[in-house]
Amino acid sequence: MASVLFVGCGGSGNGDQASDQSSQENENGLSSFEQKNGIGPVTEKLDLGEIDKELAKKGQNMFETKCSACHKMDERYVGPQLRNTTEERTPEYVMNMILNPAEMVKKHPEAKKKLAEFMTPMPNQNLSQEEARSIVEFLRYMNKNQDVDEI
Amino acid sequence: MSKKNRLWMALASLMLILVYFFPLWGISMEAPQYPEGIGMNITVNDITGKEPHDLGNINGLNHYIGMKAITPDSIPELKIMPYIFAFLIATGLMIALWGSRKWIVVWLGLFVLLAIAGLVDFYIWGYDYGHNLNPNAPIKVPGMTYQPPLIGSKQLLNINATSLPHIGFYVALISMGIASMVWWKEGKTDDGGKSEKTMNNNTRKAA
Amino acid sequence: MNTIHKIIGTWALPLLVVSGVLLAGCQNGQQIGSSDDAASKVYVAPGEHDEFYGFFSGGYNGQLGIYGLPSGRHLFTVPVFSQAPVNGYGYSEETKAMLNTSHGFVPWGDAHHPELSQTNGETDGRWIFINENNTPRVARIGLDDFKTQEIIEIPNSAGNHASPFVTPNTEYISAATRFSIPMDDKDMQNMDVPIDSYKENFRGTLSFIKVSDKGKMNIDFQILMPGFDYDLSHAGKGPSDGWSFFTSYNSEEANTLLEINASKNDKDFIAAVNWKKAAEYVKQGKGTMMPGEHVRNYIDHEEGGIAKSETIEEVRVLDPRKLDGLVYFLPTPKSPHGVDVDPSGKYIVAGGKLSTVIPVHSFAKMKKAIENEEFEGEVMGVPVLNYDSILYGEVENPGLGPLHTEFDGKGNAYTTAFISSEIVKWDIEKTEVVDRINTYYSPGHLMIPGGDSQKPDGKYLVALNKITKDRYLPTGPEMFHSAQLIDISGEKMKLLLDFPTEGEPHYAQGIAAEKVIENQKRFYKLEDNGHPDAITSEKQARVERDGNEVHIYMTAIRSHFTPDNIEGVKVGDEVYFHITNLEQDWDVPHGFAIKGANNAELLIMPGETLSFKWEPQKEGVFPFYCTDFCSALHQEMQGYVRVSPKGSDVEIAYGTGQ
Repeated sequence: MASVLFVGCGGSGNGDQASDQSSQENENGLSSFEQKNGIGPVTEKLDLGEIDKELAKKGQNMFETKCSACHKMDERYVGPQLRNTTEERTPEYVMNMILNPAEMVKKHPEAKKKLAEFMTPMPNQNLSQEEARSIVEFLRYMNKNQDVDEI
Repeated sequence: MSKKNRLWMALASLMLILVYFFPLWGISMEAPQYPEGIGMNITVNDITGKEPHDLGNINGLNHYIGMKAITPDSIPELKIMPYIFAFLIATGLMIALWGSRKWIVVWLGLFVLLAIAGLVDFYIWGYDYGHNLNPNAPIKVPGMTYQPPLIGSKQLLNINATSLPHIGFYVALISMGIASMVWWKEGKTDDGGKSEKTMNNNTRKAA
Repeated sequence: MNTIHKIIGTWALPLLVVSGVLLAGCQNGQQIGSSDDAASKVYVAPGEHDEFYGFFSGGYNGQLGIYGLPSGRHLFTVPVFSQAPVNGYGYSEETKAMLNTSHGFVPWGDAHHPELSQTNGETDGRWIFINENNTPRVARIGLDDFKTQEIIEIPNSAGNHASPFVTPNTEYISAATRFSIPMDDKDMQNMDVPIDSYKENFRGTLSFIKVSDKGKMNIDFQILMPGFDYDLSHAGKGPSDGWSFFTSYNSEEANTLLEINASKNDKDFIAAVNWKKAAEYVKQGKGTMMPGEHVRNYIDHEEGGIAKSETIEEVRVLDPRKLDGLVYFLPTPKSPHGVDVDPSGKYIVAGGKLSTVIPVHSFAKMKKAIENEEFEGEVMGVPVLNYDSILYGEVENPGLGPLHTEFDGKGNAYTTAFISSEIVKWDIEKTEVVDRINTYYSPGHLMIPGGDSQKPDGKYLVALNKITKDRYLPTGPEMFHSAQLIDISGEKMKLLLDFPTEGEPHYAQGIAAEKVIENQKRFYKLEDNGHPDAITSEKQARVERDGNEVHIYMTAIRSHFTPDNIEGVKVGDEVYFHITNLEQDWDVPHGFAIKGANNAELLIMPGETLSFKWEPQKEGVFPFYCTDFCSALHQEMQGYVRVSPKGSDVEIAYGTGQ
């Protein structure tokens, strides 16, 4: 009986306390917004504007304490290199990956691929949305200034 | 005495040898802390634990209520009893050899008297252990004594003590029974056909 | 009427539970396992016994945890590699020597893999062995009294991880270097060399410890190996009996940031060791006796129960560059972790932790490839076999991060997938996944009673999870690891129970309870007590002075110590309490503690003698008492030692009840 129910819940009924915000779902069970921008607290497109150097600087400090043990700009390390991440992913995706990594590596096809490649799941460093936003700014800065390692 | 009855009488005597191999009496105790029970056996010449260290543990428990330690060495009866049984075996065999019905009664009487004396002695020892308590005992319950029952069960504080005859005692009873049977049967053969009739009548009645 | 009631009674609860699940919806998928059905399967009624003993390594607590299965009840903890103030192990004069090593006294250890002794490939309930990872050692624990009886150090080793896996008749147990270290070719000594000279100087060793019929361990031989990291091991069985398999990673021979630098090669190796051949070489006197200082400690209750240490200076080393047919490398994808041999002994399963498949090697193919010399290279005299020649099959889609495999004896294998946090059941012959179940969270090892032997009890499986998070009431940042009991008796695995475990159990072993119960000791017989300082009656109790040493020969029985008033001890004395517990009954230990002692308590089992060293620092009167609530008058079980100033003329005096 229990096993029937289990299957009924979909193969990976893994008990994640998913925040269920999607209305239209595609074949991954993800909404088209999630498909593009990741799953997590950031559920709306952000208006970024010009690179805010002050914010990027804050992001750099945050990056050094919370991210740099596993990520480098130009070299594969424990996790992927990040120099061009802001070109490959939307800022919302980057923030959701930072803020909700456990669910991302379980459900998002892109994050799943990365996990299979790197084998170390990205840990949740418990950043606030503002802090994650500052890291996005830092990554944008690093992307624009390809030959610098710090601001 | 017929040859058959002499053999029976010899058996009654010889089977008492078993008394040297099986306990006469057993006391077992139950308490929540002893889920598997704890107990001691009285044999013809010793008092032993049912399990190797039971006697030590019983003495350990008893010291709380001020009971003397049970030390087989200090009980002279245990030194005498083997001789009493040896005497019964020897005289029983002599009676079988000699073939005297009259002496069977004497032997039986002596046996029964000794058995009663043994039980009385057991009671006295039990009384002594149960009443003669160290006044400085850690646990003193006013009015409480700890004499084990002669036969049957008795609740002594948290312990339920059960005292019952053991194999050796039953062997003695059977021996007495056989000797009585020999005496009775011989009585009938002495009287010739007369008593055989009576027996037939009896059997009929019984049927 | 009654029957109808019963039927309604038994069905009412499951129905309630099922409807609860339906109401709660899919989010509670993980709770479905804990149905009423599961509850009844793990319920062991008060006073009833569990069906299996589970022996769980304590990891960084250095001990061995004993749990009942299926209830998950924690029954006991056996102190092994760490001092245990709970009973004085490693503190008492009798047990201190158990923790001696060639580095001196080591009070802590990291215990990873318990391994039951086997006879004819089946667990036999005599002993359980366990390795120490940090200061390489192997311990033997008797299953008659659940005490550590012997610890042997492994020389020329670092990080004794691939250990102690037994051969089918406990002829040998394995020990291998997880960390290679620089070893001088001439004398195997650790060298003062730059760390980045790794490739040139660093070597590994695979050690084989011989176990005598009585359990005594000695290192029969070591095999010198390339400087990889040797990770786990299992002995062959049935057709593969005579061989042992060791996984290795870091075939890159990196010495820094192994996380990345040791994950580069597509394939690392499983080392297949022909130990029967090695044993023959040893018999022929081949190999070289090399310096290899190591300490063996043992304790025997029949010989007084005092641990003895002996130092052994040399060890026999076999070099595959000089001796043929000793070791072969089986290429295996991506940093394999576990290596497990199925009950038939035909298949060798590797958990390639960074691999996307589970490779299964065939022992028959391996033998053939060796015969036909299908080699694709050689490393330090060890031929590397051709991957395709030895591979039986690859299990597709086994989950991410496959680590360890055990078997149910019904043709199935069960593999933990650490990253995807699941256990995958697969058919060995077909190498096909047939079922999978989530675990919470990230399982390392798994255990089926007898699951690495030739006769598994394929009823339960325990997942030993590495991450606990929200499974229990929170206990701050640090929490116990979580084990999960899974029913594997049917086609589908069913989660039955979560239970917390002490320390960090890496591996565990299980055995049917009846195999252990029959040999259980309940107490030590006083008449067999061979301790030189034992006294077997209160009449022998005494206090003796010998220079500044004071020896107190003391008895403990409910509810007093003899003597319990002691005078004549002086500041600066070394006082030894030699305490014999005179009880001869099950479960009546007495404890001993004295105020201010820089030590732990003693917990003395019935019939046992233990000694406590005390160096009083101040004058005054110091109470001591029994620490184990032994009887109604336990609180009365106490005494005093009077300590006089140095040079005072108070004579030794003692007594009880005077």
